[in-house]
Amino acid sequence: MIGDILDPRKEFGKAVAEVAETDERIVILSADSGKSSGFGDFAKAHPDRYFECGIMEQGVTGVAAGLATTGKIPVFCAIAPFVTCRNFEMFRNDLGYMRQNVKIVGRNCGFTYSDLGATHHSLEDFAITRMIPGVVVLAPQDPAEIRGAVKAMLKHEGPVYMRIGNPKIEQIFEDKEFVIGKGTVLVEGDDLTIISTGSTTKAAIEAAEILKEKGVSARVVGMPTVCPIDEELVLESAKKTGKIMTVEEHYQYGGLGTLVSEYLAETYPTKMKMLGVPKSYATSGPYDALLKYYKLDKEGIAETALEFVKD
Amino acid sequence: MNNVKELELTAYKCRRNLLRMVEASDHGHLGGALSCMDIVTALYFHKMNVDPQNPKMPERDRFLLSAGHKCMVQYSVLAEKGFFDKSVLDTYGGFKTQIPGHPDMYKLPGVEANTGALGHGLPIACGMAMGLRQDKLNSNVYVIMGDGELAEGSNWEGAAVAPHYGLDNLTVFVDFNGLQISGRVQDIMNFTDIAEHFKAFGWAVKDIDGNNMQEVVDTLDSLPLEKGKPSLIVAHTIKSKGISFAENNASYHYWTPSKEELNKAIEEVEAKIAELEKALEE
Repeated sequence: MIGDILDPRKEFGKAVAEVAETDERIVILSADSGKSSGFGDFAKAHPDRYFECGIMEQGVTGVAAGLATTGKIPVFCAIAPFVTCRNFEMFRNDLGYMRQNVKIVGRNCGFTYSDLGATHHSLEDFAITRMIPGVVVLAPQDPAEIRGAVKAMLKHEGPVYMRIGNPKIEQIFEDKEFVIGKGTVLVEGDDLTIISTGSTTKAAIEAAEILKEKGVSARVVGMPTVCPIDEELVLESAKKTGKIMTVEEHYQYGGLGTLVSEYLAETYPTKMKMLGVPKSYATSGPYDALLKYYKLDKEGIAETALEFVKD
Repeated sequence: MNNVKELELTAYKCRRNLLRMVEASDHGHLGGALSCMDIVTALYFHKMNVDPQNPKMPERDRFLLSAGHKCMVQYSVLAEKGFFDKSVLDTYGGFKTQIPGHPDMYKLPGVEANTGALGHGLPIACGMAMGLRQDKLNSNVYVIMGDGELAEGSNWEGAAVAPHYGLDNLTVFVDFNGLQISGRVQDIMNFTDIAEHFKAFGWAVKDIDGNNMQEVVDTLDSLPLEKGKPSLIVAHTIKSKGISFAENNASYHYWTPSKEELNKAIEEVEAKIAELEKALEE
């Protein structure tokens, strides 16, 4: 329920296992990563549908494609950079080009593995997965959306990339049906629209409150599907508030902000600010310190928005 | 069909199909397609459970060409087997052809995967073999890998998975013609004894003459080499087998022939077909 503080990995694993109880096509693949992705109980209950392959993300992606050709729905979850960068060509060819019904889930996304440093950060996963034709890219924003997105991605026919985080997060939404490709207006406002995805949305909502106190009315849009982007909602927001600011725990360019700007540039040119991590190897340290440093906490988002509306 | 002489004849008819594609396009990956032609012919005409009229039947055997650039071998054999009309061969190299320079499963019946980037076929084949087994189907998965391709690390990930899961419904042929685009495989990246490498990973292994039809057929009849293990056949072959002037010459890995050269190749292959037909009549 709203206000609960929950582990995103466990919520993800439980949600997949629940659907898998009634859909035997679902199989779990692991690169020594399944149990830490919330599949410990599933592995015990269904050893015949749990394939441990060891630490080989390229191989696992190919194996997943092969399983999918026989009608299975493989779900492969591991640390985000290893299931997007390490195996990129297998993702592109074996899942994308071969149009296989495989679900890849990058956990510990963004810099939620903060202290492990840049090798374990994933700040380009939106950018690279959205470039593969036919791949849906999801970034649910709270535990309820993770549960909903799991059901939606398993129902969707075709390759999906979903990213989830690492630290416990607060449930901010009621459970409801997750519709791929649809965003939601979370806060109404007139002076600018803040479009956020994934882990930063709660801070974006809180930033709107700070802005309100400073006399700025911010519309906040939650965009848990990064690709395909909800063009209708982006256009409506641009027409309503003019300025658009995007917020994401991802490189500043290449992800959500880029997708929004590409669409607006061709349809309704709108002044934009893209808030994300500058293209560099992010520093390491406590997660909250990194969010603050890159202005992705509520104060940073509010401060950036304030400068943008005055600009 | 299980007569070795008939299979030899079919393999040469397939070689003629291959040259028909070169006639249409003036180019193609010749050497590696011809070196494994005898194996692929034997697979489709002697071993595999496939139906050209029902190419997607769930219980079919699967064939994967991990070395996708050898696609002309698969197109030649699929055409001979009746998966598509031979007139399609004349579109090789053409705009929006069904038979592009690397196979596409959505363009041509009988193709199981979009291979071409090296090092993809074996992991995909492992997944197929696992899925078929889970469905309790007796189907088998056959893979052709190139020898130069072995340098791709992802192959060794697949090499670990197959024996770990005891996939004895999986057979891999390494088309060991000893030559890759820049020269001799042993000079470029030497894997010394390929069979020993796979054996150490837990495969049942065998070295054969991959251009000796009798040996190929005997090997196929003995699969799996060992119950509970995937089979790895190191097929010692001759690059560009069947076209005398191109045999064992790395410069025919990719071929852009002159008209004279192409005609000479066609003459040779057609003469061989006539000879094999005559021998069968006698």
